[in-house]
Amino acid sequence: MTSLPGGRETAPGEGGRRTRDHARRSNTASPRRRGFGQGLPWLLMVPALVVLLLMTIFPAAYLLWASLHGGTLLGGNGQFVGLQNYVDVLTSVDRLKGFALILVFVVVAVSIQTALGLALAVPLSAQTRSSNIATTIALVPFAVTPVVSALVFRELFNPNYGWVGYFMGLVGLPDDIAWLSSTPLAWVLLIGIDVWQWTPFVALILMAGLKSVPQEPVEAAAIDGASGWQIFRYVKLPMILPFMAIAVVLRTIQAFKTFDSFKVLTNGGPGTSTEIINLEIYRVALQSFRIGAASAIAIVFLILLLTLVPLLLRAVGRGTDEEGV
Amino acid sequence: MATTATERPTTLRLAGRGLMWVWLLLGLFPLFFMVVTSLKPEGAARTRPVQWFFMPTLENYANVLSGGAGTSVGFDRLLFNSAAVTLGSTILTVAVALPAAYALSQPTFRARKRLSSWILSTYMFPPIVAVIPVFILAGQVGLIDTYPVLIVPYAAFNLPIAVWILRSTIQQIPYELQEAAMMDGASRFTVMRQIIWPLVVPAVATASILSAVLSWNEFLFSLSLTRAAAKTSPVGIQEFTGMFGTQWGSLTAGGTLIVAPILVLTLILRRRIVSGLTFGAVK
Repeated sequence: MTSLPGGRETAPGEGGRRTRDHARRSNTASPRRRGFGQGLPWLLMVPALVVLLLMTIFPAAYLLWASLHGGTLLGGNGQFVGLQNYVDVLTSVDRLKGFALILVFVVVAVSIQTALGLALAVPLSAQTRSSNIATTIALVPFAVTPVVSALVFRELFNPNYGWVGYFMGLVGLPDDIAWLSSTPLAWVLLIGIDVWQWTPFVALILMAGLKSVPQEPVEAAAIDGASGWQIFRYVKLPMILPFMAIAVVLRTIQAFKTFDSFKVLTNGGPGTSTEIINLEIYRVALQSFRIGAASAIAIVFLILLLTLVPLLLRAVGRGTDEEGV
Repeated sequence: MATTATERPTTLRLAGRGLMWVWLLLGLFPLFFMVVTSLKPEGAARTRPVQWFFMPTLENYANVLSGGAGTSVGFDRLLFNSAAVTLGSTILTVAVALPAAYALSQPTFRARKRLSSWILSTYMFPPIVAVIPVFILAGQVGLIDTYPVLIVPYAAFNLPIAVWILRSTIQQIPYELQEAAMMDGASRFTVMRQIIWPLVVPAVATASILSAVLSWNEFLFSLSLTRAAAKTSPVGIQEFTGMFGTQWGSLTAGGTLIVAPILVLTLILRRRIVSGLTFGAVK
């Protein structure tokens, strides 16, 4: 990944210009300072690079090595098995299903959040007396610890005592639905909790976008007789596409890391119907301790992410460039 | 902003605003459930129909905080561990990110763009992938169930955000200011202390609060790498739910105790939280 969507390294505002100015000025800096200027910055970077290498390159290298061996935690490193672990991953129905489930989850959850976030951002960005309060309230779900929200949702949807069942009963609906025992309903909850938690984040990004739309084109369109909907669709929406791109990319990356809600709410069940690959890696590595096998799944997952996210970046980058100008 | 012709309330706009309030209030519902249930006396919590009238009590909180509510490690201890790990990783994050951000904002530093992009790209690295090697390594050097084994990974997860927040702030300080000071004989250290630091304090606060919230909420690493001594509250709170039904009072009181501090921090930070979490891309 090279930069956030839109191909810009800094804000979609005017940040890029400053960087260029800096670069030009640096050519005129004295040779003494330029020499000085390479050593010291690298020195200042060392702690950050050590921490980041320790948590990215080292794990990746270790996993690559471990994935070629049949290691288990108790049985030691195991023998060199070549690509056998990868063959197992790519031929196992469970593993492929795990990859498919996380992909579907990411696509569905992020799509719903983007649509709802946009619908929410429009009234939020209106300058009314209550919009400050509304913005604050919107932030609340977003501030809840994911494990706690998963536990609270589980109890809210409890078939015997949950408040959701109670309210459904009040309006004549079935009041004892076992949400987590049914595959489709479990998915509804898992996606619902993600939407509940993260829609505010998308909405606030898009709200910032809508607030940054200049008044002149909006007024010009209004004078030309455009309706409110037309102004939104043809004036404002194209202008906030870069913001939407940022929201979609960030949410996609975050959604691929989802673990807490699945672990707490369903732990992969009923059966293995919500067993996303993240849960499978955890299970194989930290419950069965089959390190070699788990490493191969992890490497495949990493490759998948490192392929998909830059593709997504390029796609949204191109999309916003074409429409945004 | 003045109300223009386009801001007149139309049916569509009113409907949008109405739906917004419905969504916002529904969004509060799970928290409402949590806080109300945490104040219910035993016997009034897990009932159907729901009991709306009851004598509010703090007994669940007292129970949970005195460590007598049924977790293998007392909940007070879990909260203490969470706080210690959060504090440690936040200090480490800022201590490591600040010099890096300063270096990356120096226009004379040739590798700054590549390094900034690379640091940003580490945000993609999924924790579930990193946890396996860390688990093995920590096991070999005897660090399982200690604070450092959580503090260092959390700092690594928070670094991309912290570096980018700080970098974009330092970049907005005119470079002429630094140059002029150095012409007048100020050392680089003086420039950092006297010019950069005062202007970067608000960004340090943002980066600190964001990394504190993310560390406080983290679950996977704590679940995998701690047993008892360093176990944090998001992992421990699960023990209130079990095979034999859930202790709603303890669960909701514990949940409220976990959520309250970060909710406060998030609301304090509300103007800058989106900017921070989008790496400064959205102002």
